[in-house]
Amino acid sequence: MSSTTSQTPVNDAVRRAQIDISLRHPVMFFFTSGAAWLAVAILLGIIASAKVHSPGFLDGVSWLTYGRVQSAHISALVYGWGCQAAFGALVWLMARLSRQECRAAGIILVAGHVWNLAISLGILAILGGAGTGMPWMEFPAFAWVPMLLAYGAIAIWSMVQFKVRPAGHVFISQWYILAALIWFPWVFASAHLLVHGFAGNPVMAAAINAWYRSALLFLFFIPTGIAAAYYLIPKVTGRPVYSYSLSSLGFWSLAIIAPWAGMQKLAGAPIPNFLPYLGAAATILFAVPAIAVGVNLLKTAAGAPDTVVNSPSLRFTLAGVICLLVLALACVFLNNPAILPGTQFSMAGYGFDILALYAFFSFIAFGMIYFVVPRITRREWLSSRLIKMHFFLSVYGVALVVIVALFGGVMQGVGLEAYKQPWEDASMRAYPYAVATTLAWCFLLFSNVFFFFHLTLMWLRLGRRSSHPTLLGHAHHDDLHDATHGPEGDIDNAGPGSAAAAHSH
Amino acid sequence: MIDPSKPDLEESVNVTEAHERVLRGAAAASRENKLTENGAEPVSMWVMALCFIPMLAAGWTLGNAGTLFSYKDTLKSGYVRVIPADDEAGGAPPGPALDIYMKKGAKIYSKCSGCHGPDGKGDGNAYPSLAGSKWVLGETEVFAMVVLNGLTGPTSSGKTYGVMPAQGAGMSGEDLAALMTYVRNNFGNSSGDVVTKQMGAAALEISQARAKAGAPVTADELTADHKKNLPGDPLEASLPIDPVTLEPVAAP
Repeated sequence: MSSTTSQTPVNDAVRRAQIDISLRHPVMFFFTSGAAWLAVAILLGIIASAKVHSPGFLDGVSWLTYGRVQSAHISALVYGWGCQAAFGALVWLMARLSRQECRAAGIILVAGHVWNLAISLGILAILGGAGTGMPWMEFPAFAWVPMLLAYGAIAIWSMVQFKVRPAGHVFISQWYILAALIWFPWVFASAHLLVHGFAGNPVMAAAINAWYRSALLFLFFIPTGIAAAYYLIPKVTGRPVYSYSLSSLGFWSLAIIAPWAGMQKLAGAPIPNFLPYLGAAATILFAVPAIAVGVNLLKTAAGAPDTVVNSPSLRFTLAGVICLLVLALACVFLNNPAILPGTQFSMAGYGFDILALYAFFSFIAFGMIYFVVPRITRREWLSSRLIKMHFFLSVYGVALVVIVALFGGVMQGVGLEAYKQPWEDASMRAYPYAVATTLAWCFLLFSNVFFFFHLTLMWLRLGRRSSHPTLLGHAHHDDLHDATHGPEGDIDNAGPGSAAAAHSH
Repeated sequence: MIDPSKPDLEESVNVTEAHERVLRGAAAASRENKLTENGAEPVSMWVMALCFIPMLAAGWTLGNAGTLFSYKDTLKSGYVRVIPADDEAGGAPPGPALDIYMKKGAKIYSKCSGCHGPDGKGDGNAYPSLAGSKWVLGETEVFAMVVLNGLTGPTSSGKTYGVMPAQGAGMSGEDLAALMTYVRNNFGNSSGDVVTKQMGAAALEISQARAKAGAPVTADELTADHKKNLPGDPLEASLPIDPVTLEPVAAP
């Protein structure tokens, strides 16, 4: 017995370290350029949001008009930050879970650069006035075609790794990763080809566009986030996932329900009447997988409350899981027939997108980044204070967004529905929530300045050389810093014998 | 399992030493927990109950969908679509007769601009100019016959161009009148008068009653039979008319 207990953990650790090294460059590239795009997206978001309540703001610059800035903002957020953070997480997770080193890191890195170049050109085209006018599908053909090709080059190696994995148990995260990897090209290619590729009925193009936005959230970002959460929470707490039944319920209900959602955004449009109502019902039913996943993960984490408080990865991941439940609540609330007509054209739709993209997906992506980056750079995070700033400012920003989505959207909708009253009434109702949106983006900008700064230092390999993880203590007095970090440069106790002591808190 | 009889096969210590450097650098990887198998907790009753709430809400939503292809349920009760009393252009304001005829004529002229050019100057070689033409600006019946039936032989300037095909097919008296008014007051022409739709209708009758109906007119025939103005009451150029009916309206 002594040989298995002493040998296996060492070999495991070496294997893990080799997998991490093999993916160092592409994953770090996805995370840092994603964080840079996030900063760009938030800046554009502040400008766009400010124009809603102060139309005179920057009104002299034609390439900063609302229609262009808002499109550039959401495109940068979805494709610059969201997709790249997702790619980094998916590629790394699949390699770890399939226990395979990546043999195509160079190709993935090149494809990542192509993706970035295409997005840069696309954003410039949008600001220059060449956007297509379809929300989330604004990029001209010279941007989205290379993006699809780059995606193929990024994703195919993860599928190969899954195919040649050592036989045995397939972990829950792998279900979701494979699903996300397969669903993305289906959703992206079919929507772009049907809308931009073939000339069809413009009303149907609008319906496909609405489906696409919903499908990209529910069939790519949500499964990617869930995959990361299912990995991180058992990994860091060391506890088994609470219930296998809930895991399967969550996965299969998502797979069955999510593709139907989306067309409720076109309720009242001249498409067959059952499509919007089917979309609304499916979006409400999204609450079922969300509850199954949320309960399963929260129950898993509940057994190790101290770890959750102290670990940066877990804090962000748990916040993301709680936001998944809030998202489910928003799905039920915004899509029932009593509320839907009022919120259809209000800011609730945008707030809902941000709730899904930022409050759920980005929080889990941050948790993933805080977990992965020390492993692939072999340095520890520099400052628990910067992580806390990032966390709390993000939470405040997202809380504001939720208020805007659920309450402000309904308030504006009430104004819009009163069709006998002047239009001005509806805009006056929306005004305070538009100000709140700007404020929320300012919080999020501050929070991500800390994040981007911290991540860049890690990327430059300026992190701490230590065997002790950077943990978030309850207080940040200077004398406590040593207690949470471990002494600077203390690497001699990094051997396998002391590993248990290092991760026990 | 260490077999004391085969000490050389015991390699855990060597492995540790060999990887010591790797492990020091990869402290984070070496302190990780292993992923374990899923737990087997049953799905509890309250989770089921929680899931029933969205299911009920979804059922309620589908129940409110009404019939599959009917839109009457999506309209608010009491909502009335405002439809103009007349047809869509019913509300269009009246304007001076010359302007309104010219506007209609400009659309019809697009058929002619292929040969006579957008500026009406022709090309001086195969297509004659309409600007300053004696037949265009002279007696209206002459001009009307050329438009409706086409022309062969020399033009008013005496020069012979190609054969002009007939343009009358499908043209109403109103169209003809608008086109003639447009050409007679554009490209530098300024007769200043309006060819009314009654004159246009008369031109169609005259054209059908020609001896060689259907054949292009010639300069000789125009001089012999058509050298007069079309019958009909002249219309004051500045008189306000309705843009749809082209009838005079009472001044506001």
